[in-house]
Order: sequence, then C-alpha cells, then structure tokens
Amino acid sequence: MISKELDRAGVPVAVISAMYPVAEQVGASRIVKGLRIPHPCGDPSLPPELDAKVRQEIVRTALKALEAEVRTTTTFVPNRSTTA
Amino acid sequence: MRLELAEFPVNEIILASENRYRSATLELNQDELLGGLHQDKRIENAKLAVVLPGECARITHIRDIVEPRIKVRGQGQVFPGILGSVTPVGEGRTHRLSGMAVVAAAEYEGTIRAGTAVQRSAILDMWGPGAEISHFSSLIQLVLILRLAKGLAEIDAHTAIQQAEYQLAFQLAKLTTGLKPSAVEVFELGEADPLLPSIVLIQGCLTHSGHPHSNLAYYGLPIRDSLATLVHPNELLDGAMTVDTTRGIGYYPTTWDWQNHPLVMGLYRSHRKQLNFVGMIVERIRFETHHGKEVIAQNTMRMAKALHAEGALVSWLGSGNAFVDVMLTVQACERAGIKTVLVTYEYGGKDGVDSPLLYYVPEANAVISTGSRDRWLELPPPDRAVGPNESIQILTYPGSPLIPAQSSLTLDAREMIIGGVDIWGRGYRTCVAY
Repeated sequence: MISKELDRAGVPVAVISAMYPVAEQVGASRIVKGLRIPHPCGDPSLPPELDAKVRQEIVRTALKALEAEVRTTTTFVPNRSTTA
Repeated sequence: MRLELAEFPVNEIILASENRYRSATLELNQDELLGGLHQDKRIENAKLAVVLPGECARITHIRDIVEPRIKVRGQGQVFPGILGSVTPVGEGRTHRLSGMAVVAAAEYEGTIRAGTAVQRSAILDMWGPGAEISHFSSLIQLVLILRLAKGLAEIDAHTAIQQAEYQLAFQLAKLTTGLKPSAVEVFELGEADPLLPSIVLIQGCLTHSGHPHSNLAYYGLPIRDSLATLVHPNELLDGAMTVDTTRGIGYYPTTWDWQNHPLVMGLYRSHRKQLNFVGMIVERIRFETHHGKEVIAQNTMRMAKALHAEGALVSWLGSGNAFVDVMLTVQACERAGIKTVLVTYEYGGKDGVDSPLLYYVPEANAVISTGSRDRWLELPPPDRAVGPNESIQILTYPGSPLIPAQSSLTLDAREMIIGGVDIWGRGYRTCVAY
C-alpha cells in the first residue's frame, strides 16, 4: 500500500517481498522476489559468504527494477542459482 | 477406534470442606486440591475462585482454559505426554465435566520483551457486551489464580501453569469415577454408506518453530516445521493437542477449544447421515518462504487424496502470512478435484472498511465467515475482578500502561478477550443481506 502511494507521488518504487503473491494482489508496480518472510533480502541459514552473494543479487535486481519502465504489476526474479 | 464421552453436568460449584461430585454439584476443598501445587517452587501462590455466567465479573490474566476430563477405560490417560506417558489415546471411555471449565489466570512477567514470543494474557467478561462475543461466558468458571516466581524463563512458566491447570482439572474429573453419567456420546469413524461423500477436516495450525514452545503440541511435543500430519479426531477429545500457556490470545484456541473442536463435533454428528468423516489432517502453516507454502499445500492435498476425500473442510488458527498457506491449500485441493469449504474469520479493521482477508485465490468459492476479529468494543466496568493482580496490561508492547482491572475498557480488536475471535465457527450468529 505504501508503494502504491509512492507511485502515485511519482517516486519510482520496487518492493522486495517474500510474499510476492500478496504484493501482486495488492497491485504494486515493481515486485522483487525476496527469500524468507522475516528475511526478504537474504537467508541467514546459508553460510555467510553465500548469504552475501544472495543479498547482492537481490539488491541488484531491485536496482534494475527501479530503472525499468513498467505499465502494470511486474515481478522481477533474482538469479537464484547460488542458493540451495 | 471407538470413544465414549460420558457427560457429568455441573450446575453449581461450592468451595467446601470435602471434594465430591453429586447431583450436578461440585463441592471442592481448596486446600486439598491445591496442596500439591505448593511443592512447585515456581508457583508462589495459588487459590481458587468461582465465577458464574451473567455475573458482573471480569476474569483477568487468562492463559488457558480446560475442560476437566479423565479416562476410565481404554489405553492411556488424558493429556498424554504431559500428565503421563506417550500412550495412544482416543479409545475406550472418557468422563467429562460439562457446563464448567478451569481457567488458568496467572501473573507472570516473562523474560522475552518483544516479538511474537512475548507473554500475553486475555480477559473474560461474564456479563454485558464482552460476554456476548465469547462462548466461554456461558460456562461456570473455576478460576485457578496463580502467581509465579520472578525471573522464570518462558518454557518454565509454561510448564508450571500447564501442570497446575491440567492436574487440577484431572482431580475434578476424577470425582466422577464410578458414577453414572447423564448422557454418553459415541465417537467412531468408518462404516458409512459408500454413497455418502467422504469429507476430511484440514486444520491449518500456525506454529512458531523458533519459540521456546511452538504454540501447539501433539502428545506434548511442540509442532515445529512439520509437514502434514494425520490425526484421529478422537485424540483431540482425549487431550492430544495442547497449547502454549504463556500466550492467552483471542485468535489462538485454548485447550478447551481443542477438546471441544466445533468442526470435529459437527463432522462427527453428520457422520453416516450426510457424509463420511474420514479423519483429520493437522497442517502446519506459516512457512517462511513462498516455496514452503506451496510445498505444504501440495503435501496436504496428497494426504487428503490418500484418504480418498471428495471434500475438505479447511480451517486454520493464527494470524498473518500463515493464511497464504491456507489459501494455497484450498487451491491445491480444488485443482486435484477435492471440493473445499473454508472456515475463517475476517479482518476488516476497526471500522470495517479494510480488506477482510490478506490473500485470496479464485478457487476459494465457498467460504464461511465466522465474523470479524477487529471492530471497536466498549466494555463497562465490572463489580468484581478475578485474577492474580488488580491491574492489567491490556496492550502488550513493552512498557504498555497498567490499568485497573475494574475499569471500563475501549478495545480496538477482539483478541484481548479469550474466545473473542470465533476461530472455528462456534458462534450461533448469522447475517442476511437485505
């Protein structure tokens, strides 16, 4: 809901969420698939080096999403090849 | 597996000099019943109070509610894994004291200060608008008032409260041993007309895998990151499902609710008449990834299929993102040809204008609403407050103010009232659009 208000105000916005189907239902403009609900930007159960890579990939995907022109709800998927 | 539930109604409870059940009257000797509790160093003080339906009274600090039961025939004893050994239950004969309950009202500070594991307690008004929204107000309440020692860790406080509560209830039920019940109800699956539709109960259960107690235990074992579990509904009647007694919250069922699960009772009473009740699946929900939510939904559908279910009654307990797991389960079942009916409460916000559900799928086309868990509620002051302290903390954030238990209250949600949220459709109200 906050993201929709930011959109309305003309501020580009990307929502990183592990509950992306809910974000899609609400109609957020740019959605980035996060990992765990309490840890959308990473996975503390991974070894630290791997978690760092996952975090970077999620944040990079979010930055790319911010640059993208979107007309409808669009979901951006981080490259998950580094995770189990 | 056949279980006979023998009913012993209670119309009056008298604190007296001996312990006896006779002509629907329970006479209790407080000192004798609570003597054992004083040996538990975690309990500083324990006493009893009787509160009647309709009385202008408020019970405070409620952690759990239990119906007194005892097994008089068949394997094991009630609350297996907690009061006794892990022996399979659900068969034989069990006595129950009906029309009354034991309320555990405990003062306990807690060591966890924030988050979803923080201790909470609820209230119950026995008269007025508070009584109208909680079915517990219709029972004579024997309140076990406990003061716990300072500095107890959560799991220690939980076991102290639960042992005291269950042991007391067990002693009361024991007074009916050898007596003749007023009625006996038989609970048995199977032997239904094959033309009747086979129906399974899918019970979604929010558990916190990282908490000291996960919120829900099966034979005393907290359920954590479990996949679908097959449970015989008779096991519930004998106390196989138990709760975390440091967290009394309106949207979590109490032990009493598990013992008297209205959907289990409803399915049993329709069994061999309108349907064939094939059993119950306990589905752990609140997986932290969408992947996990998809897996539990598919896995639960597979188990329903294995039971040859043609229809599923789906319900849940808890709050928040766990509802996504429930909706995905409805979707998985419907796509596999199992018709579903979902039973859920709604949100809607204090004024009833917010979204009623967190998430929905098009396959959820038969949904029974049990009403809103939000909405403003004004409670007038009671003449009598019953609990371990004259002050209560109605909100649970760290440092929230203490207010007199005997004051009027304005609540913005119903979770502060035990039984205040209708989780499984026990309520008798309906609504009609004009």
